[in-house]
Amino acid sequence: MASRRTHLALLGTVSLVGVLGIAACGGSDDSSSTNTGSDTTATDGGGGDVLAASDTGFSTGSPKAGGTYRIATPDLGFTGGFDPSAEYLGWAWGLQQQLLNRGLVGYRHIGGTAGTEPMPDLAESIPEPTEDGTVWTFKIKKGVKFSPPLNREVTTKDIVYAFERMATPSVGAQYPNYFTMIKGFKEMSDGKAKTISGIATPDDQTIVFTLTKATPDFPYRLAMPASAPIPPEVGKCHTKAGEYGRYQLGTGPYMIKGADKMNISSCDAQKPIPGFNPTDGITFVRNPNYDAATDSKEQREALPDVIDISVNTNEKDVFDKVQAGELEEAAGLSVPPEVARKYVGDDTLKDRFRSNPEDSTNYVTMNLAVAPFDDIHVRKALNYAVDKQAMQRAWGGKLYGDLTGHVIPPVLLDGDTSIDPYATENSAGDVEKAKEEMKQSAYDTNKDGICDAPQCKGIVYLNRNYGAYAKITPILTQNAAAIGLGLDVKELPTGPAYETLQTVKNQVPIATNARWGKDYPDATTFAVLFDGRNILPTGNTNYSLVGMTPEQAKKLGIAYPKTPIPSVDADIDKCNDTAGEDRIQCWKDFDTKLMTEVVPWVPYMNALHTNLLGPAVTKWEYDQDAGESALAHVAVDPSLQK
Amino acid sequence: MGRFIIRRLIWTVFIVLLVSVLTFLIFFVLPSGDPALRFAGKQPTAELIAQARANLGLDKSLPEQYWLFLKHLVTGDEYGWPGLGYSFHTRDAVLPELINRARVTGSIIIGGAALWMLIGVPVGVISALKRRTIWDRGLMGVCLFFVSAPVFWLALLSLLIFWKKLHWLPGTGYVAFAESPGQWFAHLILPWCVLALLYAAIYARIVRANMIDVVSEDYIRTAYAKGLSPRRVVMHHELKPALAPVVALFATDLGALVGGTIVTETVFNMQGLGNWLLIAANNNDLPVTMAVTIVVAAAVSLLTLVADVLLAAIDPRVRLQ
Amino acid sequence: MGFIVLLVLVALFAGPLASLIGHGPNELFQNDMLDDFGLPKGPNGDFLFGADASGRDVLVRMIYGTRVSLKVGLFATLVAVGIGVVLGLLAGYLGGIVDTILSRIAEIILSLPILLFAIGIVTACGASKEGCARGYVKPGVTLVVLISAFFTWPVMYRIVRGVVLSLREREFVDAARSVGAGPFTIMFREILPNLISPVIVYASLMVPQAILFEAYLSFLGLGVPDSIPSWGRMISDGSAIYDVAWWLIVFPGIILLLTVLAFNLLGDGLRDALDPKSDR
Repeated sequence: MASRRTHLALLGTVSLVGVLGIAACGGSDDSSSTNTGSDTTATDGGGGDVLAASDTGFSTGSPKAGGTYRIATPDLGFTGGFDPSAEYLGWAWGLQQQLLNRGLVGYRHIGGTAGTEPMPDLAESIPEPTEDGTVWTFKIKKGVKFSPPLNREVTTKDIVYAFERMATPSVGAQYPNYFTMIKGFKEMSDGKAKTISGIATPDDQTIVFTLTKATPDFPYRLAMPASAPIPPEVGKCHTKAGEYGRYQLGTGPYMIKGADKMNISSCDAQKPIPGFNPTDGITFVRNPNYDAATDSKEQREALPDVIDISVNTNEKDVFDKVQAGELEEAAGLSVPPEVARKYVGDDTLKDRFRSNPEDSTNYVTMNLAVAPFDDIHVRKALNYAVDKQAMQRAWGGKLYGDLTGHVIPPVLLDGDTSIDPYATENSAGDVEKAKEEMKQSAYDTNKDGICDAPQCKGIVYLNRNYGAYAKITPILTQNAAAIGLGLDVKELPTGPAYETLQTVKNQVPIATNARWGKDYPDATTFAVLFDGRNILPTGNTNYSLVGMTPEQAKKLGIAYPKTPIPSVDADIDKCNDTAGEDRIQCWKDFDTKLMTEVVPWVPYMNALHTNLLGPAVTKWEYDQDAGESALAHVAVDPSLQK
Repeated sequence: MGRFIIRRLIWTVFIVLLVSVLTFLIFFVLPSGDPALRFAGKQPTAELIAQARANLGLDKSLPEQYWLFLKHLVTGDEYGWPGLGYSFHTRDAVLPELINRARVTGSIIIGGAALWMLIGVPVGVISALKRRTIWDRGLMGVCLFFVSAPVFWLALLSLLIFWKKLHWLPGTGYVAFAESPGQWFAHLILPWCVLALLYAAIYARIVRANMIDVVSEDYIRTAYAKGLSPRRVVMHHELKPALAPVVALFATDLGALVGGTIVTETVFNMQGLGNWLLIAANNNDLPVTMAVTIVVAAAVSLLTLVADVLLAAIDPRVRLQ
Repeated sequence: MGFIVLLVLVALFAGPLASLIGHGPNELFQNDMLDDFGLPKGPNGDFLFGADASGRDVLVRMIYGTRVSLKVGLFATLVAVGIGVVLGLLAGYLGGIVDTILSRIAEIILSLPILLFAIGIVTACGASKEGCARGYVKPGVTLVVLISAFFTWPVMYRIVRGVVLSLREREFVDAARSVGAGPFTIMFREILPNLISPVIVYASLMVPQAILFEAYLSFLGLGVPDSIPSWGRMISDGSAIYDVAWWLIVFPGIILLLTVLAFNLLGDGLRDALDPKSDR
């Protein structure tokens, strides 16, 4: 639960120009460029159909196909009922992309930058756009069939239907904003048209998208599960938000257990597929109609016969079972530090503890519209005061995150870690430097470095109420107290904490309950957090209210502070309009400006995703795109299972 | 008797309704409690929120929502009878899950209750008969210990010792009886014992006190004077009246435990009703909260009624009024 | 008894005691007491009971935890006794409609699932920035006291009412009535003094219940905030890593057990001394 929500951060309506160029540039990051994902040599005893593990992956013995790969999670946590049109949980995307539904475009699902390069999946190839980048013509592969009971070949009409669902308000689609540049999409979602005029299917194998403006990153968008084909004969029966999740039929190597028994003769005859119960778990079995010849091993090896995901709310129990071989893995949980300590200290177990970059940032967010954080000196002072090392330790130490001094994860800035305007020794905080900064603030009336105005007391501080989050609370409270900031702690469960923070009217002054991860490897997916045009009354993610104008404040019903709030909207637009090397530099400058002239956060750590592999796991990969295990590339040895 | 039971049944319905109204109100006092926001997903435009609200029926006025809830409860809904709707959190129907979880909680309570009666009553009787001996003092001392020990602490300690250190028992969690009776039993031993120790201690103390009260009554002296054997006096004249209130208390406690095993379920990772309620409260999950509260309130009221009737049946001195 | 006096002293002098040890209750000893994985280190010469997951001194927090437990035990009982005695007197002496209404209310409250409602109320109070009841009640000791008292006063009420029912037919009450004393004079001057011993006996038994109630709530994460040390919350926090840090649950658990035990013993002793019917 700790991190999933961050994996797919929401994007506002921003332009994503030139992203394709950027993905290639990211390759110069040493740690992730030498990826063996494209290396198709098999391991020695692997029977020729198993790929070698990538640098970030794991492989032992002779990985083979077969067996049941068992995963436990504390809560499936689906945000849209696992309906591909409405689901927006990163982990659920991974399941859909890798196991259930093949879209036009996919990924390799391995670690490093090679894992975030788009590849043709259902499409024969990723075409070059024509007409100044506004027309995209895709051909789909022949012989790809839906799972039983449907058993028919996929046509481009099924893709059209997926798009029509997104343009149907009742479905509750979560990211139609990625597709509003398709001609006629808005007309349909506004109810002015019955179909989307910008999508044509000259034949069952061809689909043509006509866009209103050039969109170089269109293939990335097509990799998102909502655009994968959905059979209208089943989908049309389920158009309430999240409803289709329990009826979905796909084209991937797996199907939900029992899907083949569904009676699809009429809408009324359809009953939820028994293999998926939102409270107990979900089981995937092989889709007999899947033909590996239409797919590539690079994208999906699909080795286990069954992938079983069960719900178990007891974290300790889950990891005990993984260690004992009763489970292969945990999902939605970070490995408890005491387990990591045991594994790392044991040479025979070391390799079964995995730690990979999540491309996310952990931070303290401060509200620029609320005293005393409306004063930049207070914000800078807190950046000096915070003991980042202690916070890193609260998460489990160095294997759980890399310390940082800026907003955008280094991997999105060409590996640059030099931006650190508030560096302190060992990143442990420096009260003296903090006090020097505080002295310049109006809230320090006697200029002794201690915040002493009435506004410095009783500052509401929002956090989650469990796990590592709860351990951050006493640290930040103590660090803030050292410069006179009295925090009034308010701890809530994950959901209510997010809702509280995302409702602008609540005017939460300072919080550590939120984290942020990339949608795909471009800094623009972080810049949206500071775009003044993205401020919403509810569901707002510009928590610091950077760039809020007095007019916006009035509309939102909140007070505008005496000190004007800085805006970086122009900087964001500028970077979005550049490409290639210049773009990276532009984002670096943007990040530096954020940290020195705006200071909305105290960024402290780039999280690492930890996985623990049970003794029966013989092959494992990390999916850089989703920031989770790549189930398309795992293998299990049933003889080692308990 | 019949009229009494009917009156009490009406009272039970009243209590359950009252509890449901109170739960409803508490839920809507929750200031951040807008499940529609979560249903609207991560891109909650005003339209999406409004639509989610309408889908959840949260756009209607409070009395109207409550009325609909009652109506579904009585007439059933698409998931069967009684109509309890679907969870705001998992979007799964409440009723089947309620039944599943009631099984878990039931397993804990019934096993625990059997155990505590088997321990508590004999200990109380022995203590009373051997009053002021070393037996009495020793047993009562142990009882006082378990009355004072917090359940969650005993539970954690027992897990630390029997699971983590000695490896005698499997870990936490619940295994359905149908899946593996042996595992079901093995997983329930610790919860049963922890629960039983607390209640056995309480019951032993009560049984002992009641026995001692009864012994000093005139009719016991008469019985002895009539020359009845001490064994007969104890079994027929002392034990029966001393146990009557315990039987009543037992019924009441069973009812209260339906919602009172939250802590036990939490520590032992049992997916029972209490654990569900905690999750529901954390997620503003109204239908689940309502369903669990109603079941618990009904269990408490009904079993209290059973207790009263039992008491009257066993002890002729008690009049139902 | 001696133990209770000791607890009270510890609670009163928690500050000096802590400074004697040299650690504050919320002071973090991250570098000394946490390892590279952020896991706490066990008892040593400086930290007799080890450190918790945030690197705080367990012993010092236990010392401060005395305050929460005693506060809740004392105030929850006082409030419950106050309400129970007054209403019990009114119902028992006046009878009629007053008795009917109050007894019904008591019955309803007693049939409410306590923990369930406690969870609801605490969540409701905790969810807003301001707390509940116009910001006067925030999650914490006061709220725990109020919830505990709200659910336990009917117990005291029933006991008092029962005693008053039997007392009001006694000669001294008739005598007072015959010299023209008003109902309130009779209730509070004549009957109340006779209630003292049963009230003390049952009140003393309510104290450990209230202490346990706070521990349960805190264990479920619904009691007092983290910055106020509470034994229940300490055990709860420790329950995540009890297999590698046994001291987190063992020491606070023992002190909690001993405290409740001491109050139970006190209650039993008082009953033996004050309740003529009891014989043990």
